[in-house]
Amino acid sequence: MTSQFDRRQMLAGAAAAGLAGALESQSTAQAQTKSNIAVRIDRDLDAIDPAYRTGPWDGNVARTVFQRLVKQKPNSAELENDAAAEITQTSPTMIDFRLKPGQMFTDGYGEMTAEDVKFSFERIGLAPEPGRQAGPYKGDWVYLDRVETTGQYAGRIVLSKPRANLFNIAIGDVSGCIVSKKATMERGIGHNTKPVGSGPYQLVSMEKQKGGVLKRNAAFTGAKPFFDEIAVRFISDPKTTELALRSGELDFAVLPPSVAEPLRGVSGLSITEQPSIAYLWIGMNMEKAPLTDLRVRQAIRLGLDVDQMLLAAYNGKAPRLNTLLPPQILGHWKNAPVYKRNVAEAKKLLQEAGQTNLKLKLLILNQPVYQNMALVARALLQEIGVTLEVDAQEGGTYWSAGKGDTGKNLDLFLLRFNGKHDPNFIMQWFVPTQIGDWNWQRWSSPEFEKLFNDAAAELDQAKRVQEVVEAQKLMDKTSAFVWLTNEVNFLAHRSWLKPSAVPGWIDWQYDSFGAATS
Amino acid sequence: MQSDTARYVLSRLVTTILIIVGAMLLLFTLSTIVPGDPAVTLLGPQATPEYAKKFIEDMGLNEPVPIRLVKFFGAVLRGDLGIDVVSGRSVASMVGAAIPYTFILIFSAIGLAVLLGVPLGVFAATHRGSALDHALAFMSVSFIAVPSFVIAIFLLLIFSIWLDWLPVLGAGNENDLFDQFKRLILPTLSISAGWIGFIARLVRTSMLETLGENFIRTSRAYGLSERLVTYKYALKNACIPTIAILGMGIGRLMTGAVFVEIVFARPGLGRLIYGAVSSRNYPVVQGSVLVVVAIFVVVNLIVDLSYSAIDPRIRRGAQGAAK
Repeated sequence: MTSQFDRRQMLAGAAAAGLAGALESQSTAQAQTKSNIAVRIDRDLDAIDPAYRTGPWDGNVARTVFQRLVKQKPNSAELENDAAAEITQTSPTMIDFRLKPGQMFTDGYGEMTAEDVKFSFERIGLAPEPGRQAGPYKGDWVYLDRVETTGQYAGRIVLSKPRANLFNIAIGDVSGCIVSKKATMERGIGHNTKPVGSGPYQLVSMEKQKGGVLKRNAAFTGAKPFFDEIAVRFISDPKTTELALRSGELDFAVLPPSVAEPLRGVSGLSITEQPSIAYLWIGMNMEKAPLTDLRVRQAIRLGLDVDQMLLAAYNGKAPRLNTLLPPQILGHWKNAPVYKRNVAEAKKLLQEAGQTNLKLKLLILNQPVYQNMALVARALLQEIGVTLEVDAQEGGTYWSAGKGDTGKNLDLFLLRFNGKHDPNFIMQWFVPTQIGDWNWQRWSSPEFEKLFNDAAAELDQAKRVQEVVEAQKLMDKTSAFVWLTNEVNFLAHRSWLKPSAVPGWIDWQYDSFGAATS
Repeated sequence: MQSDTARYVLSRLVTTILIIVGAMLLLFTLSTIVPGDPAVTLLGPQATPEYAKKFIEDMGLNEPVPIRLVKFFGAVLRGDLGIDVVSGRSVASMVGAAIPYTFILIFSAIGLAVLLGVPLGVFAATHRGSALDHALAFMSVSFIAVPSFVIAIFLLLIFSIWLDWLPVLGAGNENDLFDQFKRLILPTLSISAGWIGFIARLVRTSMLETLGENFIRTSRAYGLSERLVTYKYALKNACIPTIAILGMGIGRLMTGAVFVEIVFARPGLGRLIYGAVSSRNYPVVQGSVLVVVAIFVVVNLIVDLSYSAIDPRIRRGAQGAAK
C-alpha cells in the first residue's frame, strides 16, 4: 500500500503497540486450540448490509463478511491493504485504487471488480436518484463526488473537497465495505440478513433473537482466520452472560464492571480492562433558564466531584476524562483543566446569579452505572444549594428527549456516545446544525463550527491537531460540559482466547480472534 | 338444545373478535402517547434526517391513528402482519418463528403445573391437617410469592453452575431434540414453580368443598369406593375452577415467559415483543401483540366452552341471564 498519510502512522504508534502487548501479557500460558467459539452481543442483529446497519453489533459482523479496500491491522488503528493491491492519494481530492484480482463473492456472485467498489461507495454517499431516499450513513461519505472505474480492477475516488478522515471513517470502516452489486440488486432488502461478501467469514445463519453464525469463507484470499466458526449470540441480560461464561457456553463478552468483577479468579477465564473511546458527560441545556447564565453552569461544574462519581459507578476503574477527546484520539487536549470541587466558589457563583434554592432535573438512562453517578451528583449538588431530581428513563424515551422542541425542556442530562478513531467524528454532534438532534446542550457556536469544518478538510496533521484543540477550548469556556469518563471495557474471555479490536474496543475484529500465547 | 349451544358459541365468538379489535385500538392509542422516536432509537445518531423521515414513513407512523388502524386491520385480513422495516423481514415470519418456542415453554409449564399441582392438591385435601399438608401449604405459598425470574436465576446457579447438569443459553440445536429438551427444563421449572403451588392450593380448597357436598355423601352411602368417589366424582367437580384459572393463566404465563426468555436468552414471543417495545419497532409490536391477544382470547374461549361442557349449569346460567 502506498500512502502519504502521516496520521495513519501516528495512530499506529499511539494506539496499537501497547494494547496488543497488554492483551498478550494477560493471556494464560495454556494455549489451546478450538475450532469454534461463541461471542456475545447485547443487541440483536438486524441488518448486515453495510448501508443499513443499525449499530456496531451489525457493523462488527459486516467487517468479517465484507472486504474493504483497506482495513485496520489486528488490535490496531493502523490501516493495511485488504481488497486493494494498491491505494494512493494522488491529490487532496483524488484516491486511486487497484484491486487484487481473484477475490470472489460467496454464493456464486463472481469476482470483485471496480464496478462493485463504485456501487458500494456511491449507494451510501451520493445524493440518491430522484424518487429514492438517502441512506442512513450518507455522512460517512461526505464530499464524495463520484467513483470512476478506470479498468476491471482499477478505479478512482473523487471528492468535491479535501477530507482528513476519509480513510478512517469511510474507506477503512464499515461504510467502506465492498458489496456485490449483482447480489445487492438481486436480493434487495434480503441482503440485510443474507449478505454476500468476499471477506474471511460468511454469515451462514441469522435469526431474530438468536444472533448469527459465521463460518470461515474457504474462498477468502487473505489471511486465514484462526477459528472455523464463530457463533454471535444475542444475550441481552448481563447476569445470563456471566452465567454462560461460567458454564463454558460462551467464550467472549464485554460486561459492565459490576458483573465482570466477580468473574476474576474463575478458573479458565480472564478479565481484561481496556480504555474505551466512548465518552460520557453531564451536559447542560444552554437555552433554558437559569442554565442560560454562565455562572450557574460554572457553579454546577464546581459543585460536582467527577472522581467521586466515577468511584461510585466504576469502582474507580474508569479513567477520568477532562475534555471531549480521549487520549487515544488525534487532537486530545493534554493540558485541559482538571476541575476540582469547590463548594464555596460554587455557592458564591450561584449567589451572584441570584439563584438560591435552585431546582433542576437530571435525565439519565435507567442503567445502574448512570443511576449510581446520578445519586452521587444529587448529593454533591445538594451541598451547594441545588436540588436535583433524577429522571431515569428507558432507552426509547431517553434517546428522544433531546430531539426537536422537546429538547428545549431539558435541564441537565447524562449522555454517552460511542466514538470512532477520528476527532471530527466525535466533534460532529456539537455543531449548531445538530441542535434539535444530538446537540442537547443547544450550544450554538459559529467559531466551533468553523474549527470543525477546517479540521475536517485539513490534511496537515499538526494544523488539524491545533484546530481540534482550539475547538475543545471553546467547549470548556461554555461550562456546559462536565466531562466524566471515556469508560473502560471489561473483556471477559477464555484464557486461551485472544480477542482483537480496533483500540477503543467498540469495533471488534472477529476475524482476528485467535489463541493466546504465553 | 343444539341451537342454544350454537347461540352461546356465536356470542362468545363475537365477544372474542370485539376484544381483539378493542385491544388493538388501545395499543394504537398507547403507541401515540408513549414518548420515544423509533427512528432515533433504532437508527441511532448516525442516521441522516432524510433517512430517519423515510423510516418513519415506512413504518406508517406519519399517518393518523384511525387510518393506521384501518390499514393494519385491512392488511391483517389479507394475512399480512406487515414488514419489519429494519431487517426487511415479514412480521408474520418473525412471529411464526418465535411462537413455537413460547408455546412449548408455556404448555410444558402448564403441563408440569397440572401434573404435579393436581395430585398434590388432592393429597393435601384428603390428608387435611397432616404434617405433609402443612409442608405443602408452606412450599406452595413460598413458590407463589417468588417471581419466576428469581427462581430462574437460582435454578441456573444450582443446576448449571454448581452441578453443571443443564445448559444456560438458548433453545438448543434445531436438529437435536435431546438438546432442546435439556434447554427446556430450567425455563419450564422457573415458570411452573409458582403455578404448581397455586394449582395445589386451588385444588385442595375445591376438593374440600366438594367432598363436603351432598352428592358425595350420597355416593358414599351407595357404597362406592373412596377412590372412585374422590378421583371420579369429587375431582371432576373440583377441577372446574382450575380449568377457568388455567385459561386466565395463559396471559400471566406469557408475562412470566418474557422474563424467563430474557434470563435464558431463549427466543420467543415475549422476548420479541420486549425487544420491539424497547426499540419502538411498532410494526413488530403491533403484529406480535395482535397474535398474543388472539391467542389469549381464543384460549379463554376454549376454556369457556369446555367449562360449559363440563358444567351445563354455566351455559344455562349465561342464557338465563341474557334473557
